[in-house]
Amino acid sequence: MRLNKSHDLPGTLIVVEGIDGSGKSTQLALLREWLCHTIKDVIFTEWNSSKLISQTTKKAKKKNQLSPRTFSILHAIDFADRLEQVIVPSLKAGFTVLADRYTYTAFARDVARGVDHNWVRNMYGFAIKPDLALYFKVPVDISLDRICLNRAPKFYEAGMDLNLSQDPYESYKLFQGRVINEYDKMIDEYDLIKINATDSIHNQQMLFRDIVTKTLNAKGIEIKE
Amino acid sequence: MNDTNKNTKHGYPGLLIVVEGTDGSGRTMQIEKLREWLSFKGYGVMVSEWKTSKLMSNVIDQAKEKNLLNASTFSLLYAADFTDRLEKVIIPALRAGIIVITDRYTYTAYSRDVVRGVSPEWVRRVYDFAPVPDLVFYLKMPVEALLKRIIATSGFDYYESGRDIGLSTDFYESFKLYQRRIINEYAKMSNEFGFITINGNHSINTVQDKIRQNIEPLLEKIID
Repeated sequence: MRLNKSHDLPGTLIVVEGIDGSGKSTQLALLREWLCHTIKDVIFTEWNSSKLISQTTKKAKKKNQLSPRTFSILHAIDFADRLEQVIVPSLKAGFTVLADRYTYTAFARDVARGVDHNWVRNMYGFAIKPDLALYFKVPVDISLDRICLNRAPKFYEAGMDLNLSQDPYESYKLFQGRVINEYDKMIDEYDLIKINATDSIHNQQMLFRDIVTKTLNAKGIEIKE
Repeated sequence: MNDTNKNTKHGYPGLLIVVEGTDGSGRTMQIEKLREWLSFKGYGVMVSEWKTSKLMSNVIDQAKEKNLLNASTFSLLYAADFTDRLEKVIIPALRAGIIVITDRYTYTAYSRDVVRGVSPEWVRRVYDFAPVPDLVFYLKMPVEALLKRIIATSGFDYYESGRDIGLSTDFYESFKLYQRRIINEYAKMSNEFGFITINGNHSINTVQDKIRQNIEPLLEKIID
């Protein structure tokens, strides 16, 4: 499977992973701003955003009508479309591609939903292996506090489809606990770099920039501050 | 009602009968005649066609219009359609002891997607949760006969002619090359999945009789 082999394209693929409220999107936004000023050729892509399918998925989610397996395949369609339309062409053209969530999100969430571990890994087998994958690890209570600043947990992110609890807050904790468990298991499987997401935003960002600098330097890209 | 049935290949009380074949092989007409016959005999029967789920069929049509699909996206779009129909329609019907006839099944994906460049193992694993059908009929048609039927009826379709894989810019040539490859994939699957291959060039009634002869002995295995 392509996902398990290093790619030989000129560009660099950097991905961030973690549950909702881990701060990974904030960290990636800060990194992106910095890279846009230093190396310039930067492309950003995020989970469930392809024109082809994301609206269909969002509508179906609102109606709570997706089974774990259709949920999984719909996200794979989104990923496949963005991979071939955005990620691969950008890597061929030498861009640094920043991805907010990648295949590991599917591996964590879908397996936490009861989808077969090997089945979902096979489905995403055509994915490109990232040059760098960071996992922002946050305890489930902090994640819940952060996302509930402005809203209640949503049906699928709380895993309400699994009937773990009638209370969305309780269900969120149980479900995201399972997701964290899956992420933890992937640290070794996929060489994810674990970042302590309870540290200050600034500290995390400085660490993130250090790691990215090393990866880009290894690819022959110099960062001009 | 009994929940399991050790006489069917999938273990559900009903029967799952698949009709495969390229466009123009007479699949849809044979299925309609089969449905009428089974209903007339007093069996609960239901037809489920490829690419008809509420969730996906419009999305697939729109996506195909733009002609911007790569092989894995193309494949997964159909897998989502199949899964949605399977979970919401096919399996509930099989559980209720109904005879489900499907117009195309996973084998359509195995042939089309492999011709488009995905690996045979990959696409088989994507669909590995699909119940094993009790019977798979493959209506086999030579390309020359298919060409005549298509020209005389619907005309060439972009994807059915395989224009998306760039075999030839000439529709006639492209159709021939593409359908040959599809037929080749079906031929390879024939042993792998135990197809009952029927010559689609025979008269409508001859084909129908062969289908019915194969189904008849299975009817007593239904539990409803």
